[in-house]
Amino acid sequence: MKLLQELSWFFKSEWKRYSIAMVLLTGVALLNLFPPWITGRLVDQAIAGTLDASRLQNDVGLIVCLGVAIYILRYLWRLSLYSASYKLGALLRQQVFTHLLRQSETFYNEHQTGDLLARSTNDITAIEMSAGEAILALFDGILTGVVVLTLLFTLIDWRLTLIALLPWPAMAFFFWRINREMHNAFHLAQKSFSDMNDSVQENISGIRLLRAYGLEQHATDQFNEKVANARDANLAVIAAEAKYGPVIFIVVGISFLFAVSGGAWFINQGSMTIGELTSFTLYLGYLIWPMFAYGWLLNLLERGTVAYKRIQALLNSTHQILPEGTQTAPPEATLTWNIHSFHFTEGDGAALQSIAGSLTPGNTLGIVGPTGSGKSTLVKLLTYQLPASNNCTISYGDNRFDHYTTDSLRKQMAIVSQEPFLFSISIAENIALGTPNASLKEIRRAASLACIDDDIQAFPEGYHTLVGERGVTLSGGQKQRIAIARALLMDASLLVLDDALSAVDVETERTILQHLRQNRQGRTTIIVCHRLSALQHAEEIIVLKHGRICERGSHHELLQLQGWYHQMHAYQQLEQAVIEGH
Amino acid sequence: MNHPAENSTSTHLPRDNTVHTSGTFRRLLQYALQNKPLLWVAAALLLLATATDVLGPILLKIFIDDYLVAASFPFWDLLVLLVLYLAANIGAAWFGYLQSIKLGAIAQNVIQQIRQDIFAKVIKLPVSEFDFTPTGSLISRITNDTESIKELFVGVLGVYIQNSVKVLGIFIAMAFLNWQMMLVCLAFIPMVVTVMVVYRRISTPVFQKGRQLLSEINAKLGENLQGIRVIQAFNQQQRFSEDFNDTVNRHLQVRRRTMQLDALLLRPMVDMMHMLTLAGLLYYFGINVLESTIEVGILYAFINYLGRFTEPLIEMTQRLNLFQQSMVSAERVFQWIDRKSERLTGDLCFSNAPSKLELRNVNFSYTPNNPVLKDINVTFEPGSFNGIVGHTGSGKSTIASLIMRFYQPESGQIAADDRPLARYSDDAFRKQFALVQQDSFIFSGSILDNIVMGRNICPEQITLAVSQAGLNSWVERLPQKLAFQLTERGANISAGQRQLISIARTLAGNPKVIILDEATANIDSETETIIKNALLQLKGKATIIAVAHRLSTIKSADQILVMHQGKVTQQGNHESLITMEGLYRHLHQMQSAQWQLLEQN
Repeated sequence: MKLLQELSWFFKSEWKRYSIAMVLLTGVALLNLFPPWITGRLVDQAIAGTLDASRLQNDVGLIVCLGVAIYILRYLWRLSLYSASYKLGALLRQQVFTHLLRQSETFYNEHQTGDLLARSTNDITAIEMSAGEAILALFDGILTGVVVLTLLFTLIDWRLTLIALLPWPAMAFFFWRINREMHNAFHLAQKSFSDMNDSVQENISGIRLLRAYGLEQHATDQFNEKVANARDANLAVIAAEAKYGPVIFIVVGISFLFAVSGGAWFINQGSMTIGELTSFTLYLGYLIWPMFAYGWLLNLLERGTVAYKRIQALLNSTHQILPEGTQTAPPEATLTWNIHSFHFTEGDGAALQSIAGSLTPGNTLGIVGPTGSGKSTLVKLLTYQLPASNNCTISYGDNRFDHYTTDSLRKQMAIVSQEPFLFSISIAENIALGTPNASLKEIRRAASLACIDDDIQAFPEGYHTLVGERGVTLSGGQKQRIAIARALLMDASLLVLDDALSAVDVETERTILQHLRQNRQGRTTIIVCHRLSALQHAEEIIVLKHGRICERGSHHELLQLQGWYHQMHAYQQLEQAVIEGH
Repeated sequence: MNHPAENSTSTHLPRDNTVHTSGTFRRLLQYALQNKPLLWVAAALLLLATATDVLGPILLKIFIDDYLVAASFPFWDLLVLLVLYLAANIGAAWFGYLQSIKLGAIAQNVIQQIRQDIFAKVIKLPVSEFDFTPTGSLISRITNDTESIKELFVGVLGVYIQNSVKVLGIFIAMAFLNWQMMLVCLAFIPMVVTVMVVYRRISTPVFQKGRQLLSEINAKLGENLQGIRVIQAFNQQQRFSEDFNDTVNRHLQVRRRTMQLDALLLRPMVDMMHMLTLAGLLYYFGINVLESTIEVGILYAFINYLGRFTEPLIEMTQRLNLFQQSMVSAERVFQWIDRKSERLTGDLCFSNAPSKLELRNVNFSYTPNNPVLKDINVTFEPGSFNGIVGHTGSGKSTIASLIMRFYQPESGQIAADDRPLARYSDDAFRKQFALVQQDSFIFSGSILDNIVMGRNICPEQITLAVSQAGLNSWVERLPQKLAFQLTERGANISAGQRQLISIARTLAGNPKVIILDEATANIDSETETIIKNALLQLKGKATIIAVAHRLSTIKSADQILVMHQGKVTQQGNHESLITMEGLYRHLHQMQSAQWQLLEQN
């Protein structure tokens, strides 16, 4: 019930649809009362012999009209109610997505994509059910119950009603119990299903080993065991579900028996007619739905509540958005940083320590160092993908990052990250991601600079070839070069290549870097890389180790130092010889 | 090679699937027929349940017409009626309950059988099949698609059989009571069938459009979440958000359309027909009552029956949508079950000694025009220790895969003991050959379980393997010794220990050819030393071929092959190769330089 309270904002905004649905449902409930009553009256008239052709025609005609009217009302309430609840689903999907788009790095480090996906699909469906089906069960269940009971007690015979209703509480009780049993069984069935899933996953990925050891039989036996478990768990669900049938059947059967015997007694006494008894038993049938609705409602609400909590937890995690100001970031400004120490979380060791420096427009900064030395963290700080902590000052021009609007900052920076991500749209659209209005000519120019134009031309549909499952599969190097073209098309004042050339061969790397120098004069570049040959022309290179600067200077200065940079350079030359087969 | 017609967008139904559908459907039914005894029991129970079910209204009718209207209440007659009524009621409930469980069991058995069949098939397919099928889609075939077939059996077939018999039973009972009135009710059936046909025709495309949009939404969501950093870095949140909202809105509209169709043609429609039939019954009754040829109890019973067959029919109309989806799934599952498992079916056996292996002019490529091995000619002498080294992509691991018969050479031949490797029987091959991979495969269970792996191995052999693999010193320190429980993927032990266990597993089979594929790539140098010693001890007892990234692993090999771009460029032992100017020496220098860099850290 608390869930419905929490969803009240939505019910209020859709009050018209919900009100209409409720009025229509009330109409259906009331109109439904007539056919049994007409039937009963007709039976009495038949027995009394007072029935004539015109009365009969009137009554039958009335039932036909009622049937049509109820049909129309039923159609209409469904339209109103489900239009509303589906809208809630759409609304939540859009809200969640917009919210996700605004989250920063830290958020995505904390949440698994799979989990986020589950929340924005299954959970939203569950909430949607609560706003539609649960409301229906709640409102219509109570309404039908109250209307029918009132009628039975006041208009037909309250004594007979009491007698006939004797077995009904048992139905409510059993429905509640079966519901719980179903719920548990369902959980187990889902677990057994995911166990089976895991087993398949494990065996398919380990297929070579299975084959090498001749363990197909062993694996098959294990899998068959999981399948058998899944079968048993599912049978338990079926067994639980099958109990609804007999409960309804026996309770209704006994209730009918009571009604007919009691009715017979009253008829014999003369206080009731056979027609009234006929109507009465027809009305009794109407009471099954409210009983069922009650158990169903509990189930829907329970699932909806869990789902809504998860969605809310997601929507409320706003603290991870980057702080932003109101100024517009200028093009071509000096980047200055003084990082005394930077921690990811309070109490953890420092990820970066004592790093200061600046990068003036037109210059290139190189950042190198062994894996885990803090290169990526530094780049993320310098490009405002991570907010600076108290002991860091990072300024762009005259102000700190958080004085500018994030939008304007992003326009000044083009970042190519370690793992290039391409969307399953055309290659042209992928390159023009940041500049959707770019012409094909501009796109091709950027692609030429990134040395990928020839490759793209060779694809079946050139620049309009789709990427991914429905189109071409690209190699790592091709993806990286498309990502570089994408960044170049932005024509931003700061270009960041974060290990963005790792899958490109040395020759191509050299050409791309040469293109950059020729075409980005006066612009700023940051290059993070493993291959030192890419940094030959950088004005300054920082060597990081354990989050500190251990060497800095130009390529030639660093080679003189005889330190890490020098050794790495020697190693890479040997490696290059090996790659070339010497 | 014949790849499956992968239809990754499951929402696109093949247009011409009518012909397939009947075949697929018949095949599904054949699975059900494998449960004949259960099927008979279920059928018998269904008939009993239906018979007892329709008895109730007849008894009520007798009570009303013969006793109530006549106002005579003889005690014994009524008692008999009462007992009969209760018996029929409880009987119908009980038989119905048992019957639905039996039908459910049949459905579950069928799914179990289909799952076992597809798994057994997939597990035996050539390894090359797995290179081109994404693991995810294959898993989806075995789990999700079979789950969808389950829906067909439980939700569609079960309901249809059960409800059809029930409705039939009711009509027979009605015919006994009054066949003219039964005919009035019978008019209901063609009406419902017409509505079902119309609904199916109209709703199928809309319904599919809805599913397609939903999977588009989920795909977009997944892709955008993966690419979120790019979207943010390029400031495209607004555009992507609008695009997503647009898809969600289109989905909303289509769903409203399906809902409209449902509301127009499903439950409200059938309910209205129920009402119309009621009107028809009353009219017929009224007319005949005027001629006083009909009893009140008949009407009572008919109204009762009418209520009983409306619900099953509504249920049947609502299950229609599941059918199509399940058939698509079934077809995809059967496609896999029907694949040919082109296994090698040789019958040669090995003598119980280390084998001699020869690669003669072997060429191989995974994809056309992309040769991975070019004209390889090598001999591995019986009982010798051989190393294969080279940079990433040189083709060294492919040699291991070919020797393990995961792939067949494109041209040329691999011979074992001077006879073609492909002509040895599977059993013989497996006893003779063993593979140790880079990633050790550990499952939850004891160390012993992980070594034995369900094979029939004597205790002495296990003890020997454990000590040969250098596991003793570690295992001795464990309180439970070999019974020590490992968690999933061996998360509670080190990478080195995991690798030693997989070596012990290999040695426990007492193989005569041991292939190590980068087996020392991810482990500490201490464990590497243990493994090196183990290999040295095996010299002469087995032919060893170690594909290694680390040169230290194969330093004491009898023969080292140096590979570059699919060719053997150098050949010899460590001492001779190191003195020559060339790739091996550079590899060696490179690794020494790498060690220095690592040590500095």
